[in-house]
Amino acid sequence: MSEATFMGVARDKITWHPTIDYDKCNFCMECATFCPHRVFEQREGDRRLVVANPNNCVVFCRACSKTCGPDALSFPDKPATIAQIKAIREQESVQ
Amino acid sequence: MNSAILSCTGLDKPEGSVAREVAIRMASAAGSEIICPVLLNRSLARYKKVLAENPLIVVDGCSTRCASKLAESLDLKIDRKVLVADGLKSSGLTLEPTLNLGANGLALAQTIVDGLVQSLTAPVSAVLSTAQSTEFPPPREYLVVTHDKFEFRIPTADYWFNENDVWVRPLGGVARVGISDYMQQSLTDINFVDAPAMDLTVEQFGELGTLESSKAVFEVVAPVAGTVVAVNPEVISNPTLINEDPYGKGWIVELKLGNWPEDRELLLNSDAYARSVKHKAEEA
Repeated sequence: MSEATFMGVARDKITWHPTIDYDKCNFCMECATFCPHRVFEQREGDRRLVVANPNNCVVFCRACSKTCGPDALSFPDKPATIAQIKAIREQESVQ
Repeated sequence: MNSAILSCTGLDKPEGSVAREVAIRMASAAGSEIICPVLLNRSLARYKKVLAENPLIVVDGCSTRCASKLAESLDLKIDRKVLVADGLKSSGLTLEPTLNLGANGLALAQTIVDGLVQSLTAPVSAVLSTAQSTEFPPPREYLVVTHDKFEFRIPTADYWFNENDVWVRPLGGVARVGISDYMQQSLTDINFVDAPAMDLTVEQFGELGTLESSKAVFEVVAPVAGTVVAVNPEVISNPTLINEDPYGKGWIVELKLGNWPEDRELLLNSDAYARSVKHKAEEA
């Protein structure tokens, strides 16, 4: 995904992507099948699912977690992310 | 109000056991007709009369949503839904890790039953407000973004968008909120609207309920801060109205605006949103 900004801020400066709790994940792959942005990838080995492309994740989207039966996906705190984006915008506007 | 209740079987995880317990308790607390999901899957005819005569409550244990998906696969109209995993989070309880419910599991089941019974007996006006103080004229003109055989319409004026494909149409201190034509086409037919509660105060980019289609559960990301003053009763009873008229009759909620001038700085106008849609369509 080549989209580089979100709300005018470089996407790679925004911390927003799912984190997999491997103690809960049962590798059903519902999230990987669902996500159209290829955030997840399947791999060989014990951890058969990884967040391979975190910056492909649409900021504030949590749809994959709503497909997760074992509740193994978590996201950053939204208000903190909003504050982060606003701070970067403010910082860049004075530069 | 009589009802039919379809729950998770409760044989995979404790949340499922709670869902099953909710169905059993609803039968005694509210006279709900229990629908066995396994038998329903085998013989829809067995429940045809019950389903025709009663609103359907679906209780899912976890986000796999087996009961909801079964109902959707059989084209059953869902009146209301409960997700035990959500109830568990908001309760602050910890479920015992066994399929035989312990004290916390039973307490959670009863809390969910109490909420359902209350919602079945509450007057509609307590849940939804149909009284609109403001007339919102429909869009007059649209930009059209084309991609392959698809066309995505965007009103040329008065509508603002966040990058999560939710629009806001402010007018005189209040605003309507809905999803864009691009998003409704991406979701395909919307079959359930889980609307936010009346009087809920939400921050910009907070959650304003969810929409469900066979493809996804879509979180409505609030484009502005505000307080919910109306929920569109038409889209609750007929969610595909959002697909048919996303910028008009398919509005979802009305908000009393909290901080419009500042919120607007983080929104896209029609031209900017059109560029965003074009980009998304090409990337999809």
